[in-house]
Amino acid sequence: MRALTRRQVIGGIAGGPIALPFARVNARNSRQTVPLLRYAGPDSGMPNPFQVSPAGPGGPILVSLIYDTLTWKDESGIIPWLASEWSISEDGIVYTFQIEPGAICHDGAPLTVDDVAFSFTYYSGHPYVWAGSDVVESAIAEGESVRITLKRPYAAFIEDIGGIVPIIPKHVWEAVDDPLTFTGADRSVGSGPYVLAEYNPTEGAYRLTANDLYWRGTPKVAEFRQVTVPPEAVVQATRRGEIDLASSPDASVRDILADDERLSIHESAPLSIVRLAVNTLRAPLDRKEVRQAIAHALDRQLIAESITRGPAIVGSAGVVPPETPWFNPNLTQYAFDPDRARELLAGEQLTINLVADARARDPELMIPMLEDVGITLKVQSVDSPTRIQLLRDGDFQLGFMTHIGVGGDPDYLRRWYAGEETNAFAQGSIFEDEEYMRLGEEQAATLDAAERRDLVFRMQEILAEELPTIVLYHRRFYWIHDPEVFAPLDTWGGLMNGIPFPHNKLALLES
Amino acid sequence: MRLLSRYLVLALCVVLVNFFLPRMLPGDPLDFSSGDGLGAAVPLTASARAQLEAYYHLDESTQNQLRSYLSGLLRGDLGLSISRSAPVSDLIVDRLPWTLSLLLVSLVLSAAIGAGIGLAAGWRPGTRRDRWLTSSSGMLSAIPEFLLAIGLLLGGAVGLGWFPLFGGETVFAESRDGLTGILRGGLDIAWHLTLPAATLAIGGVSAFALVTRDATAGLQHQPWLVAARAKGLNERQVAIRHALPNLAFPLTTFFGLRLGGVLGGALVVERVFSIPGLGLLGFQAIGARDYPILQALFLLSSLAVLLVAFLVELVYMRLDPTRRSRQ
Repeated sequence: MRALTRRQVIGGIAGGPIALPFARVNARNSRQTVPLLRYAGPDSGMPNPFQVSPAGPGGPILVSLIYDTLTWKDESGIIPWLASEWSISEDGIVYTFQIEPGAICHDGAPLTVDDVAFSFTYYSGHPYVWAGSDVVESAIAEGESVRITLKRPYAAFIEDIGGIVPIIPKHVWEAVDDPLTFTGADRSVGSGPYVLAEYNPTEGAYRLTANDLYWRGTPKVAEFRQVTVPPEAVVQATRRGEIDLASSPDASVRDILADDERLSIHESAPLSIVRLAVNTLRAPLDRKEVRQAIAHALDRQLIAESITRGPAIVGSAGVVPPETPWFNPNLTQYAFDPDRARELLAGEQLTINLVADARARDPELMIPMLEDVGITLKVQSVDSPTRIQLLRDGDFQLGFMTHIGVGGDPDYLRRWYAGEETNAFAQGSIFEDEEYMRLGEEQAATLDAAERRDLVFRMQEILAEELPTIVLYHRRFYWIHDPEVFAPLDTWGGLMNGIPFPHNKLALLES
Repeated sequence: MRLLSRYLVLALCVVLVNFFLPRMLPGDPLDFSSGDGLGAAVPLTASARAQLEAYYHLDESTQNQLRSYLSGLLRGDLGLSISRSAPVSDLIVDRLPWTLSLLLVSLVLSAAIGAGIGLAAGWRPGTRRDRWLTSSSGMLSAIPEFLLAIGLLLGGAVGLGWFPLFGGETVFAESRDGLTGILRGGLDIAWHLTLPAATLAIGGVSAFALVTRDATAGLQHQPWLVAARAKGLNERQVAIRHALPNLAFPLTTFFGLRLGGVLGGALVVERVFSIPGLGLLGFQAIGARDYPILQALFLLSSLAVLLVAFLVELVYMRLDPTRRSRQ
């Protein structure tokens, strides 16, 4: 067994952090109490692990304010949270966590090792969809620690499961057979820094109050409100002072709010990805040269600047975004080069089908670029569920998609193509490459950070060469905020599995 | 009795169509995509997906799903929303008052304004006033609902700042206990519903104006109107005291017909102004392919139309003895 200190964890032994060049700390070191923070966020249903909405990342972030996890992330890497320290067996199967002794639930009951063990056991029958906790074989309380045994070594465990799975109170849930329909008054009792004071399901609004008994100290924001605001009204609502924190994917908000003395814009790390899924089993895209020709034919900088109305962050061919911990900077990239594209196509004229959401504007820009090299792009505009269905059925050649979840632990590179993730953006991941899958399996089981980094970098090299997905660009999110009320915090690799939200609970705590 | 059994058969057909219609849409309720670029971060492992499919009976055959749906309906259980993890009946009970109040207020406004315009236009049919009123109300109502809504939102809420930007009420407002609190709450809701109700009212004015105008024009040579004028009443008194009551029948019939569609919601207006009614719920449910919500909303609006049609037939039977004897 190896015991890990906080420094080692941040340094990367636990299968996570490598380097932190992108980390930008913007949080003010203020101890002043803020009475109210109003955030424009979505209606995410009842904020507990079983009833929170699985659509969009608003739900798990809200849950993270009410519930605690074993580990957490700050701007520099993974940090201990409910687990003050932990050790991992040499074979990477057994994790032993020491639990903070002072943690208490919102109803006053102490949060113990029994609650931690119970949580992982309960999730095996009632999964928390935001974490793949089915890798857990058993969780047993032993004195002041919890011993979690995995079915197989899993390098992402500390970040992707320990840092995401909410610890629930045993006394609330142990008698609940159907947590999806449980209506008990204590169904949102956690041990996190905020207590759910009120949820208005009709308006999709939440009122959270600071947990005065929080084991890490009273939060500096006394009340946190999350209110559903339509995207079109976000800028006006913040201007009017009705909202203190809101996001926009459009860089033009910087110009719109340039003359506003009260508001500031915080740019998140580029954790959103805009890409083309490629059906590598269908001609002519089963040929690598055609995929590479498409990558060369697209002026991705122009597309990105036109759509985001801001500086372009052209996508890495290896999928992992620049400015994130696992990014391999030494990959084959595909500069805009129509001559090279024509050369790769050797004069062939092709017609390719693209399935895209009806509201996506990128395909319109791609049509003339591809036409220029001899590829006729037929765009099939559909609504989002139809696109996902077509991609799942393999009834496509190219599929346009935009999503987040590419900033955290890189095991998603394996899960997409191994078919282990069944979410919307994993659909259309069609790539059969033995070496790639072997590397994927190996990195998932490798605890040594440097060794794992090499494996992940090699996976990116294969992706960059074979292009089973063509990354167009990465997007930032522009967070409008009142600096007097809130100081954004950029989390290392994004919150949880790469969510670019600045209201990490650390930003709301006193210290 | 025969009429009732005919409507019951029709209602059963509606139930079946409502069950199959959402399932004919491509897509899957477990895809959980919000489609805004921030969506779909949920990892959802294959085993978790399988558990959810089993929980919502999505892994069962269509016949079994239909059987569960019908037995649930007989128990008054509309099912559990997949995207919201909440009973559908609770969601509808929460949202229904918003849609009803919005649409009823706008319907009453449309009827009142439309009747006034129609009466003024039809009183002197063929004159310049008639042409101007008829065409201008028609033009106003011809503006697409979403354009009108956006225009009013930009003008009244963004530009002038007189009205709220979104929502049906001020969330987490001060206590609404006691008479003053209730009054304050009512005024707050009225403030929030002004622009959406105005949008719907403007859109509906023309239809009421045309019905009233035609009915009024047909009254011109009625002997009791001539008699009223002969008694020395001025034109205003003749119109309001004698003509208007005679317009009640066509107006009420038309109002009733529009009422049947009320439960269908006001999708566009609720979306633009973020009013938490059935229309917005339906809009979100279509994007999420949330079968239980879609089934319930289709059922509710279809049954409302059937109920109104049934009642109208009953009224007609009362009024028309030949139909009664046929039945």
